[in-house]
Amino acid sequence: MAPILRTEKLSKSFPTPRRGEDVRALCDIDLDIEEGEIFGVIGKSGAGKSTLVRCINFLERPTTGEVIFDGVRLSSLSKKELYHTRQSIGMIFQQFNLLAQRSALRNICFPLEIAGADGHKTRERAQELLELVGMGDKATSYPTQLSGGQRQRVAIARAIAANPRILLCDEATSALDPETTRGVLALLKDINARYGITIIVITHEMPVIEQIATRLAVLDEGRIVETGRTSEVFAAPKSEAARRLLIHPEDGLIAAAARHYFEDKGVALEEVIRDYA
Amino acid sequence: MHSFFSTYGSMLLAGIGETLYMTLISALLAYLIGLPLGVLLVVTAPEGIRPLRSFNSVLGFIVNVLRSVPFLILLILVIPLTRLIVGTSLGPSAAIVPLTIAAAPFVARLVEASLAEVDSGVVEAAWSMGASPFKIIMKVLLPEARSALLLGATIAAITILGYSAMAGIVGGGGLGDIAIRYGYYRYETNVMVVSVVLLVVIVMVLQALGNRWARLIDKKASAPAGMAFGLFGSGLPLRSKHSEETNKGDEHNENDTDD
Repeated sequence: MAPILRTEKLSKSFPTPRRGEDVRALCDIDLDIEEGEIFGVIGKSGAGKSTLVRCINFLERPTTGEVIFDGVRLSSLSKKELYHTRQSIGMIFQQFNLLAQRSALRNICFPLEIAGADGHKTRERAQELLELVGMGDKATSYPTQLSGGQRQRVAIARAIAANPRILLCDEATSALDPETTRGVLALLKDINARYGITIIVITHEMPVIEQIATRLAVLDEGRIVETGRTSEVFAAPKSEAARRLLIHPEDGLIAAAARHYFEDKGVALEEVIRDYA
Repeated sequence: MHSFFSTYGSMLLAGIGETLYMTLISALLAYLIGLPLGVLLVVTAPEGIRPLRSFNSVLGFIVNVLRSVPFLILLILVIPLTRLIVGTSLGPSAAIVPLTIAAAPFVARLVEASLAEVDSGVVEAAWSMGASPFKIIMKVLLPEARSALLLGATIAAITILGYSAMAGIVGGGGLGDIAIRYGYYRYETNVMVVSVVLLVVIVMVLQALGNRWARLIDKKASAPAGMAFGLFGSGLPLRSKHSEETNKGDEHNENDTDD
């Protein structure tokens, strides 16, 4: 089966403010993402994760290379066709990006309005979605009246309202506490299982990948240094970057699988943390 | 006291009417011109949703030039145009022409400032959902900035009110005209004082209404700090009452914003 999303030698450079060499954010990214899977992209901050996710839906136009969504090269599309295609690629954000002047319900109506729908049907659909994300009683609440986790749930409902084939999650849980994160990830997993929406999760947190992704790619300095099944990469990370990411230098936490890995090797954890911190 | 109002009452009342007429019609027309210009300024800016570098610079230049012409000069410069449109260069209707021309570029900048405050993340989310630039303007920029826009409109109306008093110099009518004719030319200080007090009251009422309305339609807890520099009444409802008000506003606003 052809992958639902493929990137071919995707590269992105940004011009520097002053003359000189462009900054290379992404370099020759080749990815194949299969329909229905949850794919993780992990890397430390500055590795190019956000640029990558923005290139996937052409919020950023790649400098070279291709993004092929459902067999269509995005670079070949006209503006209008691109807008239409984006309706099939949902996206959620670290800062939720809800419309502050719209209630939760009307936030979810928003992508439907963009798609040209309006009226009673959209409201019914929005209410269904609110219930799906466990927010059925918050229809009239405004974003400022909701907690971070609740806002992200509304954002998820909004992102899947137009029945996208793919959902892009850009550090979607990075502003949430661990418990809320678990809830939101469980919801994403549920949506994936229920509707078969392909999910691409971009994060710098290994536990997120561990909980949700079936496969992952490790991004380091704009390049993919490792890809594989999550369990395999966690058990035997091949790249330096992956090994480093298995440890959370900020709080000394270690992903469970990583802990096993190092313990099996007989390496003292404190040493590893010190080395990579 | 009684004789004062029997002598000047009807004139002052007419003055109030003329002032409000000039101010509100000019504000309306200024927004008809200035709102699209302000939107264009934001949209075509380098970081805007449809950057057009040279168009943006030219538009910004024209707006700046118009804004820097002193109102008194403009008042006289546009007399031929006023005659052409209104048929006369005297009276409140004639004053509307220079008032509108002076206010439109000011409104454009106010609108620009309000729209620039809209969270860029929300705009990005709209892009990601496949919104076109036009839909982003109509469904994101303008509705999200509505509270700041309304505060800006209050400021614009009050500024126009101030200008309209100057229009009295060329026989524009209104309270300013009365203050100049009676107070300045005829030394009837009491008429001038009453006219000025009435102007102050109108300004206060406009500002208080604008502030209240802006707060009522704002669903963000904190009003946009940059724009909330109202002269009067900005502290009218107590902070603790604010959340109640917002909640009460929810239901009927749901319908307000549906059009």
